[in-house]
Amino acid sequence: MSNLNAIQLTGVSKSFDGFMALSQADFTAKWGEVHALLGENGAGKSSLMNIAAGLYAPESGSLFINDNPVCLTGPRDASRYHIGMVHQHFKLVKPFTVAENIQLGLPVGPGNHAFAGSHRQRLTALEQRISDKAAELGFTIDPRKTTESLSVAEQQRVEILKVLLAGARILILDEPTAVLTDQEAERLLETVRAFARQGAAVILVTHKMSDVKRFADRVTVMRGGRTIQTLDPRSVSVPELVRLTVGESAPASEYRPATPGEVRLQVRDLRSTGAGGHGALNGVTLSLRAGEIYGVAGVGGNGQSELANVLMGLPEPCQGTLDLAGFGDLRRASPEQRRELRIASIPADRYGTALAGELSVAENFGVGQIHSGRYGSFFNLRRKRLEADAAEAVSGFDVQGVRSLKQKAALLSGGNAQKLVIAREFSRDPQLVLVHSPSRGLDVRATAAVHGRLRAARDAGAAVLVISEDLDEVLALADRIGVMNAGRIVAEFDRPADRQAIGRAMVSHGELSHGELNLEGVNHE
Amino acid sequence: MNEQVRPVMLEQAAQATERPKQPLLSRRYALEIRQQLAWHRQAAIIGLALLLGLGISAAILIAAGVPAGELLNEFVILTVFDAQSLKAVLFQASPMILVGLAGCMAFRAKFWNLGLEGQMIWGAIGATAISLFEVGPPALRLPLMLAAAIFCGLLWALAPVLLKLRLKVNEIISTLMLNYLAINFLLHLLYGSWKDPKSSFPYSPQFQPFERLPELFEGISAAVPLAVVVALLALWFLGISRAGLYLRFVDANPRVAGAVGVPVQKMIIGTVLISGAMAGIAGFLVTAGQEGRLTQSFYQGYGFSGILIAFLARNNPVAALVVALLMAMLFVAGRSLQVFYQIPFSMVQLIQAILVICVASSDFFIRHRIRRVQGGES
Repeated sequence: MSNLNAIQLTGVSKSFDGFMALSQADFTAKWGEVHALLGENGAGKSSLMNIAAGLYAPESGSLFINDNPVCLTGPRDASRYHIGMVHQHFKLVKPFTVAENIQLGLPVGPGNHAFAGSHRQRLTALEQRISDKAAELGFTIDPRKTTESLSVAEQQRVEILKVLLAGARILILDEPTAVLTDQEAERLLETVRAFARQGAAVILVTHKMSDVKRFADRVTVMRGGRTIQTLDPRSVSVPELVRLTVGESAPASEYRPATPGEVRLQVRDLRSTGAGGHGALNGVTLSLRAGEIYGVAGVGGNGQSELANVLMGLPEPCQGTLDLAGFGDLRRASPEQRRELRIASIPADRYGTALAGELSVAENFGVGQIHSGRYGSFFNLRRKRLEADAAEAVSGFDVQGVRSLKQKAALLSGGNAQKLVIAREFSRDPQLVLVHSPSRGLDVRATAAVHGRLRAARDAGAAVLVISEDLDEVLALADRIGVMNAGRIVAEFDRPADRQAIGRAMVSHGELSHGELNLEGVNHE
Repeated sequence: MNEQVRPVMLEQAAQATERPKQPLLSRRYALEIRQQLAWHRQAAIIGLALLLGLGISAAILIAAGVPAGELLNEFVILTVFDAQSLKAVLFQASPMILVGLAGCMAFRAKFWNLGLEGQMIWGAIGATAISLFEVGPPALRLPLMLAAAIFCGLLWALAPVLLKLRLKVNEIISTLMLNYLAINFLLHLLYGSWKDPKSSFPYSPQFQPFERLPELFEGISAAVPLAVVVALLALWFLGISRAGLYLRFVDANPRVAGAVGVPVQKMIIGTVLISGAMAGIAGFLVTAGQEGRLTQSFYQGYGFSGILIAFLARNNPVAALVVALLMAMLFVAGRSLQVFYQIPFSMVQLIQAILVICVASSDFFIRHRIRRVQGGES
């Protein structure tokens, strides 16, 4: 680490439609360090970094690079100052190859060796550079693969290679670990730390305390658009960091034992015949009782998404039955019937399946109960009543950032969007709650609020099924845990569960000992 | 550790600090994406774009030989304040309103119905068939013709929407191709069995007086109130009924719509059929209202106008009414320009196109904001 400032932002303010996203924020990152920017959703981390990367112009404040004032007109301009940002939502052209995507990000100009020779020669030369750079960073990637065929972790590597090959020495990573599994996140953070050790500057935007504690040299905490404090993460405890980001002590989640009732949902032998012979689901069987939270743990990509789709009634080719007590096969129920049956579905992909981002908060809320006739008959929509209900739900479920009920839902931060989904799904006192990755991308406080809602639903007698790739989340929430591996539930654990045993079941290849494989545990309580 | 980067940056940064003031033209501008824009600002931007389009159109008309002082006279005074012209405008507006609303409906369901002309033709064929084969008593003849027009227009829209939903056939292609089928079937009828036996010209026999849309008070055709009633129904459908909210979800994100319980397929099929039915009514209005018989070119220009009206109105039914009226004014004024200044009627289409381009480009300013960068380097 050196004492030279790589990038410095002072007194930066920015508002969107009258909403102050940033007010007088200060931030300094030095060459050679990994500098974490920590804060809750909507604290202004991404806005501040978007200004550093030239995407937004600040209303006031200044930007210094190497202690010299600069003015950025756009990301291209930022790239000339060796600033590169990897966004939370990747900006890759899907049908293009890795090399083509990286070529798009290269600086344009005469004398640039990347622009000598024919297109084919340039691409071949670039492919070589990509492979070399990847090897230097400690991973391999095929530059000729199309980006749509890559996993999320691989796409992220392409994004990083893209900014590095464009010459970035100040690397900004916006929530890089949100989409990765524990192992992938670890590898990534080790890679970027090595990159910083070579003299570059890495800014890590995150809300995960563990990333900060383990990988950051310094941390700047943001709250409500302001930078609160910059400190050394080794000299501060996790509760203290939490206190700084949240402003007060985070609500502690306390476990209370469940009082399970009758079996409400019996999932029998779900199988899908996926492409390439082996299906994503290979006989999922589980039973879910009223008044309990059943957690499905597992490494991502072991059939969780497919299971969630089948359960939530989304298109997914599959065989097997979902037997709902008092109804029959849930797979035959129309979305309308599912509403009548008071089934709440909270999918992982908030803006892909749960909310229409372009439509208003009120409309996104109201569509949940519209079939029931609460908002008038088909011939007359009672907007007043819908908006009154939406207003009540917004305050009841503490959805923040709603300046108007007519505001687009896409403008809500992740945590508040999730609260809105829960407000809608819970508006009719659900008997069955199906949840996939409920706290993905959420900060400490929002996660606690979401978990609190799920527990409250359980205590009110609902059967709750939580599918999550985040083992900490499953351990915190579930009364019973099923481990999903290669499209099946391979082991079940009652609370308190042994974390090590769950971990082994998650990664084993079917050769489990009989002690761990207690699928029949459901029946002999 | 950072020797290789620092000198470059220092140099660039030094340039930036040396020249704080710059001449106007070399100032730099940055583009930002807007998150949300209040509706009145959006309306103002679209309004400005329309004004710009009108300005360009006026310049072209003046260059083509229309005296500058006469423009306002021709386009506004003589079309709106002259009773005869106003009647012509309203008369012209009624089928325009219908095809415009037909466009709005289909586009709201994310269905690119380019088959408005085909559906119009079938609506007219259906109405004419009732007249030719003398179905029903004279008193019921007009309502029956209307019903036949609705049914035939709707039927012609059924195949593309089913093909799209079941087999993912692109509706832009299927509806466009079905137009040719409809046009050639129309010619087949008019040159064949439906030819007027009196004159042997390729048009159908003249409708009976009770088969023509009557003139109501002040000589205003019954087509006008009919169009207004259909427009009100469309307003109710999109604005007041539950279907309006459902359609907004289908339009915004079909996957979300399906997941939250909107009957996506039913909504798409229903809305597209309504779109076809409206185009069919437009065909009925032109044949039974204007021509009094089925001719081989009655539909020309309406298909494009319908899409254009829906686009300019941003699929908003109220705005579609206004735009359809303006388009009708443009048509009527265009005809008089043809007579008085020998300006070809294609000038009307040119003006339409200019307006569309201006409004389409204004979208950029709705989605982006341009900011001047203070003290940037050149």
